[in-house]
Amino acid sequence: MNFELTSTPEQETFRAEVRSWLDEHAPPDMEHPADPGQLTPGGYKKQRQLGRALGKKGWLYPTYPSEYGGGGLSAEEALIIEQELDRHGFTLPPYYDSGGKLGAASIMVWGTEEQKAAFLPPIFRGEVRTWQLLTEPEAGSDLANVQTTAHREGDEYIINGQKIYVGSTHGAEMSWMLVNTHPGGPRHQNLSWFMVPMDSPGVTWAPMDLLFAGNERGAASGHKQTVYFENVRLPAFNLIGGENNGWRVAATHLELEHGLMQTSLRGDSLWERVVRLYKEDKSGGTPLMDCPDAPNLLADMYIDSQIGRLFHLRNYWLQSTGRPVTYHGPQAYLHVKRSALRTAKALHRLFGPYALTTDQEVGLEDGHVEVQQRGSIVAQHPGGTVEIQKVIMARRLGIGRGEPQKSGRLK
Amino acid sequence: MDLALTQSQEMLLAAARGMVEREYSKENLLLLESGDTDLAETLWQKTAAAGWPGILVPTKYGGEGGSLTDAAVLLQELGRAPAPGTFFSTAVLGVLALMEGGSEEQRDAVLPKIAFGENRIALAATESRYGWSKSLTLTRATASHGGYLLHGVKLFVQDAANADLLLCTARMGDGEVGLFLVDASLPGVSVRPLPGFVSDTFEIKLNNVEVPQASLMPGGRDALEQAILQSLPVLGAYQVGACERVFDMTLDYANTRIQFGLPIGRFQRVQDHVIQIVNLKDAARWTTYEALWKLDESKPDAATAVHVSAAVASEAYYQSCNAAHEVHAGLGIMREYGLTLHTRMSRTLYHYLGDPTHHKVRLAAELGL
Repeated sequence: MNFELTSTPEQETFRAEVRSWLDEHAPPDMEHPADPGQLTPGGYKKQRQLGRALGKKGWLYPTYPSEYGGGGLSAEEALIIEQELDRHGFTLPPYYDSGGKLGAASIMVWGTEEQKAAFLPPIFRGEVRTWQLLTEPEAGSDLANVQTTAHREGDEYIINGQKIYVGSTHGAEMSWMLVNTHPGGPRHQNLSWFMVPMDSPGVTWAPMDLLFAGNERGAASGHKQTVYFENVRLPAFNLIGGENNGWRVAATHLELEHGLMQTSLRGDSLWERVVRLYKEDKSGGTPLMDCPDAPNLLADMYIDSQIGRLFHLRNYWLQSTGRPVTYHGPQAYLHVKRSALRTAKALHRLFGPYALTTDQEVGLEDGHVEVQQRGSIVAQHPGGTVEIQKVIMARRLGIGRGEPQKSGRLK
Repeated sequence: MDLALTQSQEMLLAAARGMVEREYSKENLLLLESGDTDLAETLWQKTAAAGWPGILVPTKYGGEGGSLTDAAVLLQELGRAPAPGTFFSTAVLGVLALMEGGSEEQRDAVLPKIAFGENRIALAATESRYGWSKSLTLTRATASHGGYLLHGVKLFVQDAANADLLLCTARMGDGEVGLFLVDASLPGVSVRPLPGFVSDTFEIKLNNVEVPQASLMPGGRDALEQAILQSLPVLGAYQVGACERVFDMTLDYANTRIQFGLPIGRFQRVQDHVIQIVNLKDAARWTTYEALWKLDESKPDAATAVHVSAAVASEAYYQSCNAAHEVHAGLGIMREYGLTLHTRMSRTLYHYLGDPTHHKVRLAAELGL
């Protein structure tokens, strides 16, 4: 066995190239607010500029084929780009683009040649940022219960309904969505998957007032929106994977969302912050908080982070070597969610009320500790609740079924 | 990165699985649990005939010269049974202690015998105040007639039943803790099995046992510490294998036991228990194998990884058995079903070589906290 992500000399040359390019193209004054909701329009603009520059080189979506604007690079090279961006505090893309990260995979699997040629290059070049539109008031864990409808009129579909917990702060050019195209039809055979230009007449959105919108360090969403559709007309060309086949199209991106994203191989910056705080605290003479259990709490936190790292490393290895990936994604995701709450409590016990304030004078680490207190709660539901992760695991393991359920198509 | 076993490790694993299933069958283990010492001897001889006790013994002493990961593959399969701890105590902990702390004469004399299955070792370190730090050693080694007199009581010693040699800690005249390789048949050594919910656990009384100067191991207590550190993830692999077997049993039962007209695995409350086992066993597996890799590669932070894996693996085995009992209910506590073989072992291994709390204290120290 070898647990090290080692690079060949060619890959190290590539790393040097990426590093010097980033030093030149990632401006040092880019914003990294602890709460991504605080990202200014100017800060956002810089992220998009960096995205477009990466896109031009094929480094924004490195593993996708270059004929569609991707980089045609290996998983290892993509990881190098991720690691180098991580040094600048960003993920790939350097802004929230769940639409591209997840939706593009579905288009690759289910789109026609014409659809791939039309939709993928703008995303991969960073010209278009894409939101995912899945959840509705009556469709959370039961995603297949979406009530937003699309019905066909000639060469168009007309969409009506509402999506919630969508996207990010500064708008998007495109979206993709799961809608009902066969009201009263059999479950899972009544859904369709569409690409939607966000400037289509009848599309409007407004921010939701939430405890926190979710944090994916460097690419966090900032705000979540409610998106309304009122008689929105879409060309039939924007239907991906055929009418009433949307559940299978969605299974592709859901598979990825359930714990199979490479960005999870990043370092643990929160751990580094906490250890630094704790050590400074001890040597500074005035402890922030009298916590005799501190080494034990930190040991537990460290163990949790190691298990999470190893689950994601294993998943990356399984995927990149073409081995079967079944319950592994949801298992990693479940661990991330569960351990986030344990960490929040450990930090609260370590630092007491200091952990809860963003105050400039007494708050910790520019708000990064406080934001974890809120973020850990918010982390429980995106991409499926803890219970949903366990349901998927149970099916993939075949508990009570004998036959394990198959994974969503990734190719 | 490559998280797969090597081809030769895969072959070893397949051979070990076959042999363990055949020889360390549930029926045999239940007989061992009932105290069938003849069977214990027979099974040890078969294990020795397969050449396994020499897995970590360097080739110049007649062994295989395998890596810790190689040994872990074997232990993982023994853990599935769960086979008795003699193999671990002798071929892993014993061999590593000799390599780390033994004199050249001690290694020459003992390692070939271990490789051929002729010597068995037990670690007699813990005493009345149970724990794994050297401050707890009360047994005394007093210089006498060019050798030493060992006097004290070793408590909760594992796998002493058929041990020919004892790795024995004792406080020297200068207050330091020394490490002795003691012939278990010497006058004054008495071994008493402890009854109850334990696996192969003993009390050893040392009543002014006269040992020669040459029995003192030059590496001392620090060498034992190193040997324990290297042994921990190999023991962890045993716990991983055990968790995997507990998982297999539980999944099988959840799929076949019908209540309310359905396999009970269709109920999400039952699924929760099975999923808990999967999560525990996978966490144990990957922390354990990473620690093994770091030790085999002499990575500077290997000790950190070892303490993580030791805390995780012991907890995983303990909690997996609990979850398995929740699923199996009444059937799980019938001895002939076999789950309690694991439950019993999971309890003993929970504290053996340090419980999770001990390893978290060590981990925090390694991290400079």
